[in-house]
Amino acid sequence: MNICLVSDFFYPNHGGVEEHIYNLSQCLLSSGHKVIIITHSYGNRKGIRYMTNGLKVYYLPIKVFYNQCILPTMICNIKILREIFIREQIQIIHGHSAFSVLAHEAMTIGVLMGRRAIFTDHSLFGFADLSAILTNKFLQISLSFCNHFICVSHTGKENTVLRAKMKASKVSVIPNAVNTLQFTPNPISRDKKMITIVIVSRLVYRKGIDLLASIIPYFKNRHYINFIIAGDGPKRELLEEVREKNNMQDRIQMLGALEHSEVRDVLTRGHIFLNTSLTEAFCMTIVEACSVGLHVISTRVGGVPEVLPEYLNVILVQPDIKSLINALEETIDRVERFRAGKSRKDEIICPFKINQIVSELYNWQDVSHRTEKIYRKVLEEPTKNLKEVMLTIVNRSGVYLFLLVVSLCYVIIKFYDWLYPANEIEICRNYNEMKNKNKNNYQRS
Amino acid sequence: MSQPKKPWKKNLYENKEYEDNYTDPSFLKDLRQNYNLERYTYKECLLGVTKVSQEISIVTLFLIVFYHLYQNSVQPQTILFNSFTITGIGYLFYIGTPNLQKAKNVIEDSKTVVTVLLFGFYFSPLLHTLTDSISTDTIFSTTFIILFFYLLMHDYGIDGFLVSKTISLNCGIFSSICLASRLSTPFHAFVLLVVSSEVFVLKPLLFEKMFKPYMLIPIVLITIYYLLSISQLLLIVYLSTLFFINIACPYLFQRLHNHNKLIISGPWDEFVIISSEEDENE
Repeated sequence: MNICLVSDFFYPNHGGVEEHIYNLSQCLLSSGHKVIIITHSYGNRKGIRYMTNGLKVYYLPIKVFYNQCILPTMICNIKILREIFIREQIQIIHGHSAFSVLAHEAMTIGVLMGRRAIFTDHSLFGFADLSAILTNKFLQISLSFCNHFICVSHTGKENTVLRAKMKASKVSVIPNAVNTLQFTPNPISRDKKMITIVIVSRLVYRKGIDLLASIIPYFKNRHYINFIIAGDGPKRELLEEVREKNNMQDRIQMLGALEHSEVRDVLTRGHIFLNTSLTEAFCMTIVEACSVGLHVISTRVGGVPEVLPEYLNVILVQPDIKSLINALEETIDRVERFRAGKSRKDEIICPFKINQIVSELYNWQDVSHRTEKIYRKVLEEPTKNLKEVMLTIVNRSGVYLFLLVVSLCYVIIKFYDWLYPANEIEICRNYNEMKNKNKNNYQRS
Repeated sequence: MSQPKKPWKKNLYENKEYEDNYTDPSFLKDLRQNYNLERYTYKECLLGVTKVSQEISIVTLFLIVFYHLYQNSVQPQTILFNSFTITGIGYLFYIGTPNLQKAKNVIEDSKTVVTVLLFGFYFSPLLHTLTDSISTDTIFSTTFIILFFYLLMHDYGIDGFLVSKTISLNCGIFSSICLASRLSTPFHAFVLLVVSSEVFVLKPLLFEKMFKPYMLIPIVLITIYYLLSISQLLLIVYLSTLFFINIACPYLFQRLHNHNKLIISGPWDEFVIISSEEDENE
């Protein structure tokens, strides 16, 4: 299959979506599919780049407009996307993240060209505020194009079915995964006397940094408790202020933003991992922390309760200060009991065992298999024609005005079909296929 | 199938036997609709909107004052004297029962009044000619737009997206500066400025404290009386606006809110932090 993953968010950016796209594409490549990635340019990084295992990435020369996204124009990028789809003989367009404008545009254009579109959403939305109302309307329109929808958690599925009015049978749940080999435990690097609480998160309101800022002062007189905070963001100043006010400069380490490869070494230094998110679709960091063998304390929000079983040293509590402090106290007790050699038998699980279990629950091979299954199913469906798409848009969102936009896109595509006929566009060679063939030949001989 | 399936669970690691797009009967069981929705009666809406109607009437009264100054049909001294009297009475209501602390405030306040009046008086020739070169039509249409914004952004006591005390106050003062240039003498301009600062600055302070819905009735009656002497058409426009704002809108709002509003909430909603001070001080 020829698959195109599209998102505004990709390397050199860091985050859950970027990780997901990269790992998924690597797994798909290794099972012999052709995979390309389309994103917008990042500074000097534009044009075509090849990444590990010949993963071809198009950094389209489009300017960023707001929050790492391009300006939504619907029509301006038709030419370049159409040519890429034809050159690369793309069958499936797989967009990622509801915030990504590029993904929506590529899916629209792809479907109007007779390709299939799949969409993965990584976040949850409310229904109350103005921005949510607008995004949901936009999502209803955009998802009228797509053949299948993937969510990262069951809560995400409920959310999507409600806000985009998708049929529940068209929505699959495929979780994120974690490269557990990259997140192996290393109990030696833990401090022997102190207890270290690690926080790895972007420092923004949604991640509950305000909660964290009111928890930290509670521990100011307990000198054997340290904090390590990795991540950056607008709430960093708040944490620094709290640190200053409570004279905890020597006990709270603020590391700033980390490379994904450095996260493991920070996690291994801690005993307890604390996640204070206020909303979360999947929460990869708690899985990472768990696979490093830390005690995980997290707020019970969104899809978090679905992610990890409690027997892996995971405690979930309500997102308020009191419950979080209680959970921390309990866990600190456990760590101390363990040090004194007084822990109960069922309390101890070897961190390496935990790593093993997590790798069985979440691995990218599994994710890619399940995604492939959806690709195959979607390819069996008939292509959507313009009328169908328009009817779905009207039924779901009721925005008649958007039909004009869709028809304009369609007319422009038809115009390009006439101006630059598809048979005049050079077809790209598939090196991955050739490599696989050579490998097979080599193995045969 | 020989072996019965394990029951489906809402987690991401135990449902290997189920298809990825399997939808369990328990789907959306955490969904809650119209949880904690406040419902209003028509009377509540009606009384709430009187604040808006009152503000519209006050702006109309301000424009009536301008009209009379513009037509030279009333002496500016009369208006100045009357406005001082009304302000004085309003101030007495504002301070309420007298005590020592308040007496101190009175001295402070009178200092402010004297400063503002002096500066206003000496700068009024300047303000009077500030927008002199702009055509009258432009001035009037700008005033209309700017006063519309004043009404739109005025703080009616509800926190909202558009509410901004600063912008609405600035709109009011700006409109009076626009209009001042159309008057015949700097003294006229000064009087208009005094009236505008009473209407846009002092009146909200007073009404924030003591506005009651029934106070709308005398205000509307006064407005009707003065409008009638200017033009019947304006009176009809004024009354129909008031009818729409105060009778029709609450009705529509109340109907839509109580019957058509749907709030959906569930586990995907962002939690709101409830901060407790005692936790922080521990």
